[in-house]
Amino acid sequence: MTASYLLSYYLWVGPHLLLAPILIAMFFRRLQRQFPMFFLYAAFEMLQCGVLFGISLSPIRAAYTEVYSVGLGFSAAIRFAVIYELYRHFLRRYPALDGPGRYLFCGSIVVLLLIATVVGISAPATSTNPLFNATYAMDRAVSVLQCGLLISLFAFSRYFALAWRSHAFGIALGLGIFASVELATSAVWLHLGAFGNRAVNLFTMATYHLCVLIWMFYLLRPEPATSYVLNPLPKHDLEVWNNELQRLVQR
Amino acid sequence: MTTTIILVLISMLALACLLWLAKGRTVSANILQNPTEHMRAVDVEAFRNLVDPDEEEFLRTNLSPPEFRRIQRERLRAAVEYVSCAAQNAAILLRVADAGRRSSDPATAEAAEKLVDNAIRLRLYASLAIPRLYLGMILPGTHISPIRVAESYEQMTRLVVLLGCLQYPTRGISAAL
Repeated sequence: MTASYLLSYYLWVGPHLLLAPILIAMFFRRLQRQFPMFFLYAAFEMLQCGVLFGISLSPIRAAYTEVYSVGLGFSAAIRFAVIYELYRHFLRRYPALDGPGRYLFCGSIVVLLLIATVVGISAPATSTNPLFNATYAMDRAVSVLQCGLLISLFAFSRYFALAWRSHAFGIALGLGIFASVELATSAVWLHLGAFGNRAVNLFTMATYHLCVLIWMFYLLRPEPATSYVLNPLPKHDLEVWNNELQRLVQR
Repeated sequence: MTTTIILVLISMLALACLLWLAKGRTVSANILQNPTEHMRAVDVEAFRNLVDPDEEEFLRTNLSPPEFRRIQRERLRAAVEYVSCAAQNAAILLRVADAGRRSSDPATAEAAEKLVDNAIRLRLYASLAIPRLYLGMILPGTHISPIRVAESYEQMTRLVVLLGCLQYPTRGISAAL
């Protein structure tokens, strides 16, 4: 067994094993109540890896691609739910943004669906296997949608200077990096016309490993306490403050 | 091949954009360490005067059309600057108030909650008012009423005063307001 194979086995199994401490930490900190979809996603990814690993070693390895494609579909659906959960997380904390936030989420989905459709039409299928083609098309469309939604969320929070909770930020950052790299790899898969290109697979798995490490970093550490220091005002400013307060009381 | 290259380039751009937007979080944290240094003075009365329809009408009747257009553009450019400053202050105050929301004192938490709401509203109004002001610069004479920004800013200022007094009876947030 070469070093390349060992690396690919590590990158396949390692990140999924690292999801276990994330799940445990989330459970004991009751974060699964705040982010139930992310908890489900991490659990599903672990389960999916276990099943695929088992299939790859068993006599039914011919069914690997089918199981992988179905798993990819479920995984993508749960990731959408995680993104919606992140939006909800913000809107719950800032009720004044409820209306604009919903508009942004729905508007982004409409625009990104159009872009994903254009990407799908402009990139024709290259494989003779219809399942491969459907998987490629879905992967590209999902990557465009998820990447766009997460960029919109980051842009929205940046414009309104909204404070991210550390856990939500970590989840969003990891998912965003993964979605943008998935877009590139799905495009390369499209060009190559088949799964299994070793370099592309290693790159995708390494990116996923990085994302799991990001999730670990943000979810295992406690939420940092916000501390800020306000400089004392010059003495004469107190008069301005008093005048303002007086005006407030008289209204 | 071309599609693949385009998609790879788009994904690289998306990744760069995502990381740049995420980096903004740490910049905001730095601002939070000393908010007063980053706030800019905003004269609400001067802004009101710049977007006052009566003032505009007065200028229109007393100036030649080319001169009115020139003056009006300059007035609206100044108004955009005022709104941008107010919006920037609102962003800083939002972060400060956000931390105040977790205060154990119910009065402070309530004042902070109101300040967060007002700061968000001001950012929203600003995002609507600035394009209208620019439209007014392109088409002088277009009816513009970003008075709500001024009202929102005044309301927010009052809440900042209240929050500051509740948190630090002898200190404050900013003289810039």
